Amino acid sequence: MNAAIEIANLKYRYHDGTEALCGVSFRVAPGECVALLGPNGSGKSTLLLHLNGILPEKLSGDGTVKILGEPVAPRNLETIRREVGLVFQDPDDQLFCPTVQEDVAFGPQQLGLEDTEVAARVDKSLAQVGLTGFGRRATHHLSHGEKRRVCLAGVLACEPAILILDEPTSDLDPRGRREFKALLRQIPATKLIATHDLELVVELCSRAIVLDRGSVVADGPMFELLNDEKLMLEHGLERPHILRHQHPH
Amino acid sequence: MVNHLHGRPDSPVHRLSAALKLGLVLVIIVATVLAPIQWRAWFIGEAVLLVLTASLSQLPLFFLFRRLLVLSPFVLGVVLVNAFQPAGRDKWLAVAAKSVLCLLTVILVSNTTPFSQILRVLKSIHVPALLITTLALMHRYLFVLMDESERMRRARASRTFTRGRRFHWNTLATVVGQLFVRASERAERIYDAMCARGWK
Amino acid sequence: MHIPDGFIDGKTAAVTAVISVAGVGFALRQVRRELPPRRVPLLGLAAAFLFAAQMVNFPVAGGTSGHLVGGTLVAALLGPSAAVVVVTTVLIVQCFLFQDGGVMALGANVFNMAILNSVVGYMIYRVVCQWLTGIRGRVTAIAFAAWCATVLAAICCAGQLAWSGTVPWSVAFPAMATVHMFIGVGEGLISALVFLAVYRARPDLITETALTGQPKRLGELVRYSLLVTLGVAVFVAPFACSWPDGLDSVADKFGFSHKMAPLLPAPAPNYLVPGIHWAVGATAVAGAAGSLIVFALALLMGRWLVPKPKDL
Repeated sequence: MNAAIEIANLKYRYHDGTEALCGVSFRVAPGECVALLGPNGSGKSTLLLHLNGILPEKLSGDGTVKILGEPVAPRNLETIRREVGLVFQDPDDQLFCPTVQEDVAFGPQQLGLEDTEVAARVDKSLAQVGLTGFGRRATHHLSHGEKRRVCLAGVLACEPAILILDEPTSDLDPRGRREFKALLRQIPATKLIATHDLELVVELCSRAIVLDRGSVVADGPMFELLNDEKLMLEHGLERPHILRHQHPH
Repeated sequence: MVNHLHGRPDSPVHRLSAALKLGLVLVIIVATVLAPIQWRAWFIGEAVLLVLTASLSQLPLFFLFRRLLVLSPFVLGVVLVNAFQPAGRDKWLAVAAKSVLCLLTVILVSNTTPFSQILRVLKSIHVPALLITTLALMHRYLFVLMDESERMRRARASRTFTRGRRFHWNTLATVVGQLFVRASERAERIYDAMCARGWK
Repeated sequence: MHIPDGFIDGKTAAVTAVISVAGVGFALRQVRRELPPRRVPLLGLAAAFLFAAQMVNFPVAGGTSGHLVGGTLVAALLGPSAAVVVVTTVLIVQCFLFQDGGVMALGANVFNMAILNSVVGYMIYRVVCQWLTGIRGRVTAIAFAAWCATVLAAICCAGQLAWSGTVPWSVAFPAMATVHMFIGVGEGLISALVFLAVYRARPDLITETALTGQPKRLGELVRYSLLVTLGVAVFVAPFACSWPDGLDSVADKFGFSHKMAPLLPAPAPNYLVPGIHWAVGATAVAGAAGSLIVFALALLMGRWLVPKPKDL
């Protein structure tokens, strides 16, 4: 069976010449929930932008990225973006429409769906994130947690097979974090989550990949990696408290 | 300034269609500007109509009055210039009356109509898509950028111990320059977000 | 300089509306042609930026403060057509959302502040950049260009008010021109400082300084010039010609018309070159002198802000 995501020897340089990714390789199987860990500046966001063809800009970069068996190339960007839902780090960047309804409807409309189908998807997605009735609200006036949920709804409305999230719980208060984690748990899609929220990783992810300075330094079962205190500290992370106290699951 | 655009009470005026309101605005303003000041009845009638609409709209009176006050320096200027001329009285009366009535009309409509509806009306009269997108994005990010600007200013002020206009100007210019840089970078990220959801 | 409704009459509103629609339409076409899709959101964000920037208070003296208008700045950063679109967007939002400037007067406001200000500012900026190179040259150029654009826009505004009969030219022109000569200094200074700040942080964001050098925009500018000239011809020229007579009568009343003549070195015994009235000549000389002074100031400021000449 095809891997959901398959990256082989991916390299990328920034405009000023610094190497952002130095030969990254890994696979994600369908249905898996994988955490992408690493200190700030390790290249996580840059890596994620390669998964739906936003990077490299000229699409002639080094290495290969395959989504559901298809290599990412200019000719199939449309299909790739339909299958890969990317939730950006800053919700203000993603919520570029004036009302919640319009923003969640953006994706389905770009897919060319009929108005009735678009409306149905919007309602379904808003219900999935617990924001039924928020359609007419102005995006600027939402709380941070609500903004993040609307971003998720906007991506879910496209019904992607793969969900990619960049720091989904940063800036959220504890309740916001709990609610968001509960939401993510219910979504059956393949998930790749770049995050610093180690509790989220413990609760949702079965596997973890550690990225540092553009290279994969560890890739394996979540428990094993996160319990490896030396590895965690070496790469700007730490062993999460939840594991320290050996809570039975 | 911003607050009155949101969380509005629901009133009959709010519920009227945006296209109707904008059409009326245009008609009223054009008619007011073209009508000679001698047609007293017309202006008085219009004023009564607008005041009635204002009360129907449930917009706070103080707010309306404060917005109208913005006109005062302009009107005062014209009054002064024309006060000492033979046909002067009619002229400044015309300018004062027309500008107040037109402004009141626009205040009433713009505060009872969400901007996205105004944009939809513009789209239906075939205003070019590029301009509509630009207007929509400006409106969406207006407050975001103003907040950023305020935060940057405050952060700078917290580390400013020098008094002095030259230093101040330099600081402010750097903040404004940074604002442009951030706006540009955000624009790129927005483009990426749009592409990620299939925009062509 | 936002003209409210009721200050310009029907014919002025109609004429300005037609000219503005043509100008903005042309700008939109230009932008669509030359702007890569990646930069489309930049227009909206630049408009939001301009609005936020206009709210920043630059303290002057006492309680007064200066504010950026920004047409020339945006033109230097993004090109003239993009500037026209951006400033027009700001004006539309200001009109409808904040009731700053009238609806019928939108045509006039767009012509003065979006088209005239941006395009003339840009042209002067490019001309000066041809003589003075490097970042110092650009800083000088933008300061001078912003000043000129501000003054010219104010003169046009005065013309529109006079043509509508709201305020006579003899009052509007001197008032608007002199006030904006001072305001223009602030505008030039702020524009230059902000341009420098952007250049120092992210020079790659300035479209006009792309590695390929400043793009050739001759065709574009020629078409804008025609539009601008048309506007100036309608709003300013008639007054500039008939004004001297009005001024003469005022001068006669106060008995100093003949005292003015010796101010100008007259090649001919009476007045100047026959056919050109002394008042127009006097104004032209004053305008030229003022411009030279401001240009010199801009040069000094360039030297002060950019210590060593740097290559772009």
